[in-house]
Amino acid sequence: MVTSDLVSEEDIAKLIIPDDLPDEEPIFKAYIEAKVYDKEGHLIQYHRQPMRSLTQYFLALMAIPIIGTFQGPSTNSAPGILTNVLGLPSSVSGNGNSANITWNWSIQLGSGTQAFSPTLTGLAAPIANGTGTGELLYSTVSVSYAGSMIFVSVQVTNTTSSSISVTEIGLTGTVILGYINPNTGNYASSTYSFLLSYDTFSTPVTVPAYGMAVFQITLSFTG
Amino acid sequence: MVGRGIEDIDIKMPRDAYDTGKHMPTFNVYLTAIVRDSEGRVVKIHRQRSHSPTANFIGLMLPLQYFINTNSSYTLTNTGGSTTSYQPNTTIQAYDISYPNAEQNFQTYLAMIQVGSGQQSNPYSANSLAAPIANGSGTGQLAYGQPSIPSTITVSGSEAYFTISQTFNNNSGSTVTITEVGIILNLWLNSLYISGSIVENNNFGNVLVWYDVLSSSISVPNGGSVTIYYTFTVNP
Repeated sequence: MVTSDLVSEEDIAKLIIPDDLPDEEPIFKAYIEAKVYDKEGHLIQYHRQPMRSLTQYFLALMAIPIIGTFQGPSTNSAPGILTNVLGLPSSVSGNGNSANITWNWSIQLGSGTQAFSPTLTGLAAPIANGTGTGELLYSTVSVSYAGSMIFVSVQVTNTTSSSISVTEIGLTGTVILGYINPNTGNYASSTYSFLLSYDTFSTPVTVPAYGMAVFQITLSFTG
Repeated sequence: MVGRGIEDIDIKMPRDAYDTGKHMPTFNVYLTAIVRDSEGRVVKIHRQRSHSPTANFIGLMLPLQYFINTNSSYTLTNTGGSTTSYQPNTTIQAYDISYPNAEQNFQTYLAMIQVGSGQQSNPYSANSLAAPIANGSGTGQLAYGQPSIPSTITVSGSEAYFTISQTFNNNSGSTVTITEVGIILNLWLNSLYISGSIVENNNFGNVLVWYDVLSSSISVPNGGSVTIYYTFTVNP
């Protein structure tokens, strides 16, 4: 059947994010888990909920394996998504003969709440890494994968004598642009940090005094 | 004593974590194709959800901690079937994804949206299209335009998205049918180590990062064209 012609980019925009497709299993599924242990190591709480709120920075980061880091085969500038959204330089200047890009992920916990926006840059009230009042001691972030699922987890320990309530969680990312320091000949880098997702817990997760918790974010690209 | 459960987070996706009837998924990809006849009139609009990042995409998405903490590499496979062990690091000799530089450049870029006339049942493990349609004007071929990438991400309320697209013209003399579509990244891995005056690098070539079998085939009439749009969106 011949349809009416498309006259503008606006017409196309209405087509590229259709809202009338039949319900299907989503391509991407994500959820958050928390396991809480008391000071004797007994599991005292298990919390699980869907993760719903990815930011534009997540979208920009995942654009790298799709559109690459150059605008084209003969254009030595980074794509606009990387410069305009992530704030990366269009090229690394004055630092040796080449440059490359890698990134880290982490998990940030918080004790506040805020409305979601895809341009959010941080948690409402981040819980600092430490042993002071209201602080949690974050261990090294662990990342693994199985097929198209990626798991990110972190263990936190409450070394204080008071319980700490966790109400918000974010997946964070740090992009690292590596280059050679022209003066030393050694590896050098610039870093750029982002909030990749933001969720509030449906019920707070309470880490008891001298207890610990493991928070895990699972990203599944089911394929 | 730490409870046993700490080492035993169940990796199986809980069914109630994505009850699709109750809330929208946080991330979606849509594939749209607009087919025009030889006079430029739209003769078909094809829309479907895109489903299939490949294993190459997953490997390229993994953060640095995975490679450093596990001292592991990830096997990437290009469209020619060659493999490489991808193991980025923040050291001078690690082979990472290239980034623009003022002096020597090794371009990693969107090579093309590729279309094909075959299909395969396991998109995750696909390294190439089953039957790529060649770029040209011969029988069964399509003339590939340049891929278009956006300059930014569009944000509207809680939604954010970007779209890539590419147009294919049919100058073959007869109808050409498309049944599969993929996104091809030209990947250049380079270290920062300089041997002589040359940076150590690995032009790994074309890598399939996304693949879809169309829910129904698309016929591009002779003299006509098709434009493929991939839209990646969060919180749609």
